[in-house]
Amino acid sequence: MKKSALDYILKVRLPITLFVIALTFVITFYVSRQERDSVGYAPIQPINYSHKLHAGDMGIDCEYCHTGVSEGRYALVPSVNICMNCHTISRKDRPEIIKLTKYYESGEPVPWKRIHKVPEYAYFNHSVHVNTGIQCETCHGNISKMEVVSQVRSFTMTACLDCHRDPEKQLPYLKKVNKGPENCAACHR
Amino acid sequence: MKNGENKKTNNPEFWKSLKEYYNDPEVLKAKANEFADGVTDDFDPSEMSRVSRRKFLALLSASAAFTATACSDYRDKGDVVPYNVRPEGVLPGKANYYASTCSGCSQSCGILVKTREGRPIKIDGNSDHPVNKGKTCAIGQASILNLYDPERLQQPIIDKRKSSWKKADTEIISALKESMAEKKEIALITHQTDSQTEKKVLDDFVAAYPNTKIYTYELFDSGNRYDGWKKAYGVTPLPSIMWDKANVILSLDADFLGNEGNYIEAMRKYSSRRDAVNNASFNRFYIAEAGLSLTGMSADYRFRLSPDLQLEFILSLLNEIVSNDPAMRTKLNSAAFDLIFRNSLEKFAEKSGLDYGKLVNLVIDFKNNAGKSIVYAGDKLSPDVHYAVNLFNYVLGNNNLYDYKSVFTNRLELSDNKDLKNLVESMNNGMVGAVIHYDTNPVYHFPPELDYAAALKNVKTSITLSELPNESIAASYYAVPINHYLESWGDSNPRVGIYSLKQPVVAPIFGTRQKESILLTWIIGKTEAYSEDIYHSYLMENFKDSVYDKTDSAATFNHFWNTALHDGIISIDESARPPVDFDMANINLLKPSTASGGFTVILNKNYYLGDGRFSNNGWLQETPHPVTKVAWDNYASIAPNTAKTLGVEFGDFVRIKVDERNVDLPVVVQPGLIENFVSVELGYGRENSGEVANGVGFNVNVLLQFNGKSKWIINNAEVAKTGESYELVSTQEHHALDDESVKDFHKIRGIIKEGTVSEYKKNPGFIKEHDHELFGITRGHEYNDVKWAMSIDLNKCTSCSACITACNVENNIPVVGKDQVGRGREMHWIRLDRYYSGTPEEPKVSNQPMLCQHCDNAPCENVCPVNATNHSPDGLNQMVYNRCVGTRYCANNCPYKVRRFNFYDFRDHFADAYYQNDLTDLTNNPEVTVRSRGVMEKCTFCVQRIMEARSESIKDGRKLKGSDVQTACQQVCPADAIVFGDVNEEGSEIQKYREHELGYHVLEELYVKPNVTYIAKLRNTHSSEDV
Repeated sequence: MKKSALDYILKVRLPITLFVIALTFVITFYVSRQERDSVGYAPIQPINYSHKLHAGDMGIDCEYCHTGVSEGRYALVPSVNICMNCHTISRKDRPEIIKLTKYYESGEPVPWKRIHKVPEYAYFNHSVHVNTGIQCETCHGNISKMEVVSQVRSFTMTACLDCHRDPEKQLPYLKKVNKGPENCAACHR
Repeated sequence: MKNGENKKTNNPEFWKSLKEYYNDPEVLKAKANEFADGVTDDFDPSEMSRVSRRKFLALLSASAAFTATACSDYRDKGDVVPYNVRPEGVLPGKANYYASTCSGCSQSCGILVKTREGRPIKIDGNSDHPVNKGKTCAIGQASILNLYDPERLQQPIIDKRKSSWKKADTEIISALKESMAEKKEIALITHQTDSQTEKKVLDDFVAAYPNTKIYTYELFDSGNRYDGWKKAYGVTPLPSIMWDKANVILSLDADFLGNEGNYIEAMRKYSSRRDAVNNASFNRFYIAEAGLSLTGMSADYRFRLSPDLQLEFILSLLNEIVSNDPAMRTKLNSAAFDLIFRNSLEKFAEKSGLDYGKLVNLVIDFKNNAGKSIVYAGDKLSPDVHYAVNLFNYVLGNNNLYDYKSVFTNRLELSDNKDLKNLVESMNNGMVGAVIHYDTNPVYHFPPELDYAAALKNVKTSITLSELPNESIAASYYAVPINHYLESWGDSNPRVGIYSLKQPVVAPIFGTRQKESILLTWIIGKTEAYSEDIYHSYLMENFKDSVYDKTDSAATFNHFWNTALHDGIISIDESARPPVDFDMANINLLKPSTASGGFTVILNKNYYLGDGRFSNNGWLQETPHPVTKVAWDNYASIAPNTAKTLGVEFGDFVRIKVDERNVDLPVVVQPGLIENFVSVELGYGRENSGEVANGVGFNVNVLLQFNGKSKWIINNAEVAKTGESYELVSTQEHHALDDESVKDFHKIRGIIKEGTVSEYKKNPGFIKEHDHELFGITRGHEYNDVKWAMSIDLNKCTSCSACITACNVENNIPVVGKDQVGRGREMHWIRLDRYYSGTPEEPKVSNQPMLCQHCDNAPCENVCPVNATNHSPDGLNQMVYNRCVGTRYCANNCPYKVRRFNFYDFRDHFADAYYQNDLTDLTNNPEVTVRSRGVMEKCTFCVQRIMEARSESIKDGRKLKGSDVQTACQQVCPADAIVFGDVNEEGSEIQKYREHELGYHVLEELYVKPNVTYIAKLRNTHSSEDV
């Protein structure tokens, strides 16, 4: 029988097309995974603030600025007056501090770019985690070494559950740790 | 002027060239063609690209989309914006509480306002307040929605045009001065305030403008009660009642648990004597009423009695008691004795058709409990009845139960009818230069006989101060917007020695000012005199003089003031004068009213809308009426037999005619009413009052009686069928009580289990007698740690619906509107079921709050195809919105019908998205998801509060206790009927309730193992009546 054009389409062209589509999808899926989970996201901030300098070299405690972390839901990005505790005196002449002082004096809040975000339908609470002894680095990475903060771990439900289900493995530094709740209402309500 | 200009520019004929101007044929021809000749020459489509424009665009967008997905950078997550300077004490994510005073009604309960990030989101009772003790009512709960009402007035309006404060103030001040110069009256119409400082502002206003006359009115007042009291005891202030000390209570048409006096306090005290679990000795509660009120539903005995017969009733009872008791007789003088002696109980029973046996039991109860019983008459009854009731209580020594430590203060004196008539007359004569409606709405409220609206047209300057648009605003030249009470300073003095403060918890959202500041500005007479602080400093100064100086506080005034603001309440010992003797001189004035022919109409206060001021509040409009379960309407309640005689059914119109006035109302056939009687609620039929309020229900204020002993009780009315009908919506279906197929099904199915006190004493386990062992086929869950459960004591629940609105506010429950309620789509997570048993004439009523039972073997969980509802280890039946696909299988399989489905995004659906705007969004509790269309929802046992308590316990390093969590419904319940806690905690309150003999579960035999335990209702009837 003579090969028809239809045969050609079905036997050669179609499989190749499907294969290309599938391959593209799989490659894109894995390659873009980090980006989708925002791992590595390090946006340019309005003020070129260095965690490495403050938290690392100078050893300022995280809670000095992130005052809400053991109190409630939000760790809180510090309000400008906290920065000004030191910077009314220190390094007043640096361009970034001049920028900061301008914000302070005009009463404008600093529009920091958000890096870590849990979806709205998940009710995450910092204080519950911090007060059980979990260190900030466990989720946020070693911030004290970062000039520019970027997201280190993915913040997906799988990431949460990995830790809730097997805390000993994820939090080896805690001597005694209970499993986290796995029921829906623990995070969703 | 502007119109003239327009005409000028619109009219000229345009021309491009002179040729055109002179109508050259060539130009005319060119004009007919769209393009000039030859414009498409050298244009060959076949030589152009084969890619059509459409294809090109498709390719372009496809490649753009491809580039966007493949090569995009990280998704932007927006900004995180901290404070510039964080206010001390404000921690984002943490609630702050501020003490204030509720202004929902005249009772001034102490409240704590919960704010998040500076916006109020919930109102709770202030537990330090000696009167309401941490409880509030449905109105107080829902009043927060008024703050975020998108239709609030935002700036002064002059002659229907938006204007500025400066202009309005200047014009009004000069108008007031003009009235002074012309020697014309300035009429200021206000409500009865209990604020000492506000009264002082009014006094100052009169001092500044001496031509001012102050008029005071309420649509529903306690004037008759005060009159009756004054006749009996002179100027002694009116005491509150120690309901908790009364063994026998007889209420004469008084809805004291529903909407008269401080019903929060009454409910708490009354229900403390209905506590089977804590072994209280039950009181016995009789009520004699014409309609069926919320209070009447709780009564052990109901006497159906026309309001005309109440006086004779109380005198007959007194006669029966006194005639056999020489000791009591000595308390009466001869005139009183003569009057009372004429009333025989036996004859009265015959005349009124009441059961003589029951009346004799009532008399025996009173005799056995002289000094420990109380008779209480309703606000609507005439002063005569109140006087007779005071006499009754005096003779029996029941004035022991008057609480002289908690005495009502004198509010602004009500204007009498003559004053109002004179006002209208002088308005019509042009003798009134200016009228100020000081947060009042007389155009809507005044009886039609006054014809106030017409008179207002004859006044040059009419000013209305109001939060929301209303009828008086529409009829006034100046509309002056005022603050919501959560934006205001203030004080209140509801009882002698109790001062509570009001403080703003949020800055005015719009350009409104508080009403007292507005008057102060006008008093000073300069627009610049206004400052945001003007009333605040005035209040502080007055507080210093009138309160601080009375205390011997060692603290400085500033310290004292800050403490008072923090606590919200100051109690100082200002003991009222001891009661003087009963004044029997007025006994001759008692005249039994003559029996009336025709229908009797009673105009009642609506339980949720008050005098109509909450008409624009969707949450309150949608709260079903506690008795009829009708929402979004008022109607004529008529007894079943009367309805049969009239030939009307549920929803049919009747015309009520009184003298020349008439009104058409749809009928609700209501069991338990007297015949030839109509009960109607006011507060509906609003006009110009906002999207929610307008056109809901019918304006029955036209029936208000101007002359006569009571404004609200109308005799000799004619009622007839009109032949038309109307759609009323109710949240519970209506069926005939005598229909055998459904009669008493709630008892047969074990939904309601109840008995009598004597039955319980004889056999404490009587409700469990027919229980048998149940077994299931599923494996049970294990609860090793905390397990949450609730108990509801049906002895205490009065069906006041505070739980419904508290739940609405806490859990972001939307308003769905009348049409959706009609389809059974109301979204309330807790509902109040009402069941009747007995006969339509003498029904027994049983109420039951019904919410998600959080079953151990929950039938809803098994059927969810996507596992969106499942069980938590602490016994909650969880509902995960973002997993729900809306099959509604769970709702189908729920035996309690407590699951609610979002058929629409109701915020978007109701009244053209009335409640979907940036402002109303601020009402939402940020701890609770706002559900969208297509998902199922239900009671979560306030899981957000559980999680908050859990995080607090982790912070403090202790174990979570059941008592750490209060659900919203439990917190608000004025009767303390709801208990919530951890079943696994030894010795906990909830354990006691769950294991109590009277505890039962609804539909127990299904073996779904519900976690809401109901405590069976006991009726305290006479043991001789036991079957």
